[in-house]
Amino acid sequence: MTLFTSMLSFALITLLGVLGTFLLTGLTGLFSFGQASFMALGAYISGLAVIKFNVPFPLAIIIGVASGTLCALIIGIPTLRLNRDFFSLITFGFGEAVAGLLNYFVNVTGGAMGLSGIPPKTNLLMVALSTGAVIWMVNNFRRLKFGRQCLALKNDELAAAAVGIDVYRIKLQVFIISAIITSYAGALYGFLTSYVEPAMFGWTKSAEWVIMVFFGGVNSLTGAVVAGFLLNILPEVLRFASEWRIAAYCLIIVVLLNFRPTGLFDEYELSFRRKH
Amino acid sequence: MQQVINGISVGAVYALIAVGFALVYNILKFSNFSHGGVMTVSAYFGYFLASTFHLSLLVTLALTALFGGLCAVIIELVAFRRIRNSNGPLIYYFVSSITVGMLLENIITIFKGSTFYAYPGLASNTVVRMGSITIPVMNMLMLVISGMMLLVLMWVIMKTSFGIAVRAASFDVNTSKLMGMNTSQIISLVFFVSGFLGGISGVFLGISYTLYPQIGQMVVKGWIASVLGGLGSLEGAVLGAFILGMVEVYLVSTVGAGLSSVFIFILTLVFLMFRPQGIAGNVVRDKA
Repeated sequence: MTLFTSMLSFALITLLGVLGTFLLTGLTGLFSFGQASFMALGAYISGLAVIKFNVPFPLAIIIGVASGTLCALIIGIPTLRLNRDFFSLITFGFGEAVAGLLNYFVNVTGGAMGLSGIPPKTNLLMVALSTGAVIWMVNNFRRLKFGRQCLALKNDELAAAAVGIDVYRIKLQVFIISAIITSYAGALYGFLTSYVEPAMFGWTKSAEWVIMVFFGGVNSLTGAVVAGFLLNILPEVLRFASEWRIAAYCLIIVVLLNFRPTGLFDEYELSFRRKH
Repeated sequence: MQQVINGISVGAVYALIAVGFALVYNILKFSNFSHGGVMTVSAYFGYFLASTFHLSLLVTLALTALFGGLCAVIIELVAFRRIRNSNGPLIYYFVSSITVGMLLENIITIFKGSTFYAYPGLASNTVVRMGSITIPVMNMLMLVISGMMLLVLMWVIMKTSFGIAVRAASFDVNTSKLMGMNTSQIISLVFFVSGFLGGISGVFLGISYTLYPQIGQMVVKGWIASVLGGLGSLEGAVLGAFILGMVEVYLVSTVGAGLSSVFIFILTLVFLMFRPQGIAGNVVRDKA
């Protein structure tokens, strides 16, 4: 694989993670510190299924995604009824717990050294198709009744509940869908790099994704896609002092939040239909 | 018994962080993660003071605390003032605070590198022995200073007019503003106090662990403690911090550092199932 295609694949996979975050934070305003851990789960579990049990590749991906879904259920059911801060807290604890487990079972997961030897089975085409499909799906979600309900409860949970929206159920559904997207991205990631380590998926990763979503604009899918893609690929292309990269992002975000809190794209959506 | 003592001294530092955290939560109702950035920056500032000027522990602490308070006030001006004026949703504060935290951490990494520094011997490594229990003098100092800070803070909050203003603002910022309170000033002051505590906890963290740019991420301990303690309640935050400290020390000694995070996750999950209002038990309701 050439440098360019691998770079593009990585950017697209991160974009998948950003899309999961966009769904969760952009649509419902929930903030997950453990979103990256779903990626870790997807990567590790599907990778281990192939390495240790010789499971065929498509089935391995399904197993990885299923485990992510299960964890989302375990976290979501007790906490989504409560104050939003509890949700952030529990997802954070979940991330720490996943990292702890991955580091602890050294002979299964390779511990802090990471898991290597996952057969490379994904390619750019597959990643690009998945990303396209997810973008299409998220876009449809937003325009359905489901998406409208999400936006309503994001702005005012109490008012949303008052007009008969089942706030808890909607939040749980969104969280599970975003977990599915993210663990699927993780599975793709594992089979792309053939090497994963726990340190790649800390809470700062999840925070980075949220920052990307806000960079593009929380209300704009186009913005999230453009931001997720650009912020990933630009520094790789330009290769300017990489240690300044994150600091520069942060500065830009603080300026944006202050002067254009709706993000670069506000509510703008790229549309292929003619305006009426 | 030894474990309990260790847990309490860890908990004391967590309590300082948690209270600095809960103070801001009290008024603005968001989790202020820039507190971690304040802690990192002041920990390095304290190191700079202690290593270049060879100041004593108390002087270093006092200067660093002032510095931390100043940092927090500047952060409030830069990162939150405009959002507050435009009545932005809470998530903007939240993201802004996380970004500022990351920014400060990265600035430190760029200028100081990610090498580890050890604080110069501010207090000797002597220990006090009581029967079978050994207590390092440093831990005892930390416990005493943290305890004193917390008591002074409680007195300020309960007895002074500033404290009354803070409590009024924490009940409802907008109404207190309508009543003629200068809420901007109060909020700046609250950030100062929060940063003041953050500065002290930064130095303590730097002394007990070594100094590295990610040290500010210990802010999550304070966050966990203050959320579990009951959002926005100062007493709850202190209680939560001590419980967290003791549980952590106990878990590390029984199941090891690797699995303790797993157990803490399960414990919080179970705790929230049975007591979703936190330890202090005042439910923060979304206002209609």
